[in-house]
Amino acid sequence: MEKAKLSAYQLFVLVLLFELGSAILVPLAIDVKQDAWLAILLGMAGGCFLFLIYLCLYYYYPNIPPAIYMQKIMGKAIGRALALLYILYFTYLASRVLRDFGEMLVTFAYPDTPMFIVNALLMMAIVYTISKGIEVLARAGELLFVLIYLLAITGFILIVVSGLIDINNLKPMLEEGISPVIKVVFTQTLYVPFGEAIAFTTILPYLNNPKKARVTAISSLWLSGINLALAMAINISVLGVDLASRSQFPLLSTIQSIQVADFLERLDVFFMLALIIGGFCKIGVYLYAAVSGAASLFNVKKPSKLVYPIGLVVLIVSLAIASNFAEHLKEGLQVVTILMHFPFQVIIPLLLLFIAFLKNRKKTG
Amino acid sequence: MPSFFKNRKEKKDDQDEKNSKKLPQFMGETLAGNLEIIKQRTGNSTDVVIRILNIGFQSEIKAAIVYVEGIVNDESVNDFLIESITNNRALKERMTKQNVLETIAEETIALGNVQTVNKWDELLVSLMSGETIIIIDGTNEAIIAGTKGGEKRSILEPSTELSVRGSRSSFTESIRTNTAMVRRIIKNPNLWLESIKIGKVTKTDVSIMYIKGIANDEIIEEVRKRLTSIDIDSILESGYIEQLIEDQTMTTFPTLYHTERPDMVAGNLLEGRVAIFVDGTPFVLLVPVVFIQFFQSVDDYYVRYDIATAIRFLRIFVFFISLIGPASYVAITTFHQEMIPTLLAIAIAAQREAVPFPALVEALMMEVALEILREAGIRMPRAIGSAVSIVGALVIGQAAVQASIVSPAMVIVVSITAIASFATPSFAIAISARLVRFLFMLAAATIGFYGIILGFIMLIVHLCSLRSFGVPYMSPLAPLIPVNTGDTVVRVPWWTLRQRPRLIGNKNNVREGKGQRPVPPENRGMVNNMIEKGDRDDS
Repeated sequence: MEKAKLSAYQLFVLVLLFELGSAILVPLAIDVKQDAWLAILLGMAGGCFLFLIYLCLYYYYPNIPPAIYMQKIMGKAIGRALALLYILYFTYLASRVLRDFGEMLVTFAYPDTPMFIVNALLMMAIVYTISKGIEVLARAGELLFVLIYLLAITGFILIVVSGLIDINNLKPMLEEGISPVIKVVFTQTLYVPFGEAIAFTTILPYLNNPKKARVTAISSLWLSGINLALAMAINISVLGVDLASRSQFPLLSTIQSIQVADFLERLDVFFMLALIIGGFCKIGVYLYAAVSGAASLFNVKKPSKLVYPIGLVVLIVSLAIASNFAEHLKEGLQVVTILMHFPFQVIIPLLLLFIAFLKNRKKTG
Repeated sequence: MPSFFKNRKEKKDDQDEKNSKKLPQFMGETLAGNLEIIKQRTGNSTDVVIRILNIGFQSEIKAAIVYVEGIVNDESVNDFLIESITNNRALKERMTKQNVLETIAEETIALGNVQTVNKWDELLVSLMSGETIIIIDGTNEAIIAGTKGGEKRSILEPSTELSVRGSRSSFTESIRTNTAMVRRIIKNPNLWLESIKIGKVTKTDVSIMYIKGIANDEIIEEVRKRLTSIDIDSILESGYIEQLIEDQTMTTFPTLYHTERPDMVAGNLLEGRVAIFVDGTPFVLLVPVVFIQFFQSVDDYYVRYDIATAIRFLRIFVFFISLIGPASYVAITTFHQEMIPTLLAIAIAAQREAVPFPALVEALMMEVALEILREAGIRMPRAIGSAVSIVGALVIGQAAVQASIVSPAMVIVVSITAIASFATPSFAIAISARLVRFLFMLAAATIGFYGIILGFIMLIVHLCSLRSFGVPYMSPLAPLIPVNTGDTVVRVPWWTLRQRPRLIGNKNNVREGKGQRPVPPENRGMVNNMIEKGDRDDS
């Protein structure tokens, strides 16, 4: 572990930026059409329960990174294998998010630029940041948080002022009953983006005030859930269900439809700013999770040395995981959720918590 | 090989020892011998004045007064030293060979600062810094009388940090004048001053000043440690010290603040900072600093808060312009033509029709031309300065456009950027922005706004990674310290600005009482009763 201390507010900001990261840009839970916002809110509630599991594990071992406490709980061999799997999981997720961003940028702004260049430039900024340590990422997050909220509030005001919102697009609520919503919650929104907060288990040990972790993280998840639901509701009410579900990036379409006073239009650059800041934070946290996990698993004194190789792996994997965007999306929705998110975000933490609970009860008893 | 070097090193040490053996460390007994050594050590320099006096009841005691012409105060040497030693009859009678030194040191000299030494090194350093030496035959000690003086520049208005409101004085080259100017503002015994000499050859006076109880003791200790570890032959300006004690050297951003305004120093001392004065320069260093401080000017605290806040917003906006102004132009004309209104896009395209270069080359040419003009403007003799500005205005304005080398829009962008970089209160940060601007232009030319945004994120990360004497550079914004954000991008009213910066100062943070908000009395008793009465009478 590096020497660093994070305040509760910094954790709050990081969780929020991480959750908003890519989720605010993609058509989240669009399968349930106008009830997407409800699916997001329910997913957020479930995500909070998942995060409580991670927090319970953290409170059992408050100053130890997960790669070490897994070994304490499960024994050396299994613990090490699990820690390694988690490192691979985080690395893979980092490259998935990077691929998402590469695809988006190439699609809407740089059709002639090879994706390698786009991804490599973003990765360069992220590797630079992570090599400076978690404190620097947290501080930069604090500034970017203000920036992104200023953008969001400005955008919201502009959308309202240009009279684009049509509440009727959100009706009827629960057209086909609650069951499709529940299904989407348990197949999508619970894991992405809320369950993904498992990456923060590597950051929690740096908190200077562990008591505040629960309140901070949960309130941050709540705020991000509300923001995501609001953004999705606005997207649908501006674009209509039909357009929103067909659009690759509904937020971009919403922003593009802003027209105020024949002057404030084509605000794509704001979308790009939000997109890059979100991607930066999300990939940054994943990369940090992978790097710090590897550092504590393999006893590397200076984690910053591992940033460059793992960053390079993330970059190359992001280009190699799929031959096109459709394949990438299909993998993400069908394979990754069942084979990776469910076990890594739900099963293994539950198992760990159960065994940790038994062990600690034995000790006190 | 290693043994070879080892031997050589030992040899050198031997030589040093031999040299020091050759020169006597302590003073001798005879006046002639001592004077001979002074002459020898100063190489018979012509500005070293040696005046031989005969003192005592029967003028039987020989003494010498030694000083360096020009750096002593002539008046004190003549009136309070030579005059009082030679003409004081009452004392003359009591003077004997045995007590002459004490008598002169304690009773005769009419100067404030008097001490005795017997080591040559100390004596010579005092002599060279403007003290007067009195050597008496038959004693192995000398008296040093404080007669520092000589020609000094008078206190003038600040030339680089102008303000509309506030004190009109700026520091001078004399360290004593400078510390006195701050003492005149903060009349408090807790204002402490420590001095050391830095520079093996120049022996420059360097002082650190802080307010005991407000400044953080750890930071003071850190400053002391860093200053004493400096080992260099000369300190010619505070910039030497700045570069030798800063936290992070791989950055274009200043992590020490330099100022020539006494009120600026006083204000920062009161916030818990430490000031470093260097003799021979009007620029005083302040540590630790934070990024946002470079956007604050003394005016902000003198004018009302609403105006100060508006001006700070303007400055930060202007800083962004000076960073990404030309870069945005390059990005828009090369990659994102759709982002500006169609009519404007067509107009710019029409202007650029005749220009043979890509936008980046155009922007680089103009920026470099501007930098040349600016540099020339600084070095130019005053008399021909106006010629340069006329030629510059013609060349990089009208003529360049007519010759189809650049487009008119580019000229506008470059001029706005240039003006913007002058509007930043601190020259140190404006010059960093000038450098970083070129990186942004390259990023924009490579991949448009994506490059600018990535560059911007990396800039933020870089700024967040900096520290100044242990204090995070972006505090109190990142890490966020809510009570201190009142004096950052905004400046809240004085009556709510109750705490000093928390990371910089000591634990004693409160600087203002509660309830300072001015409340006018309900009835001022200043109503014009006459008119009211008259009105009533009429009705």
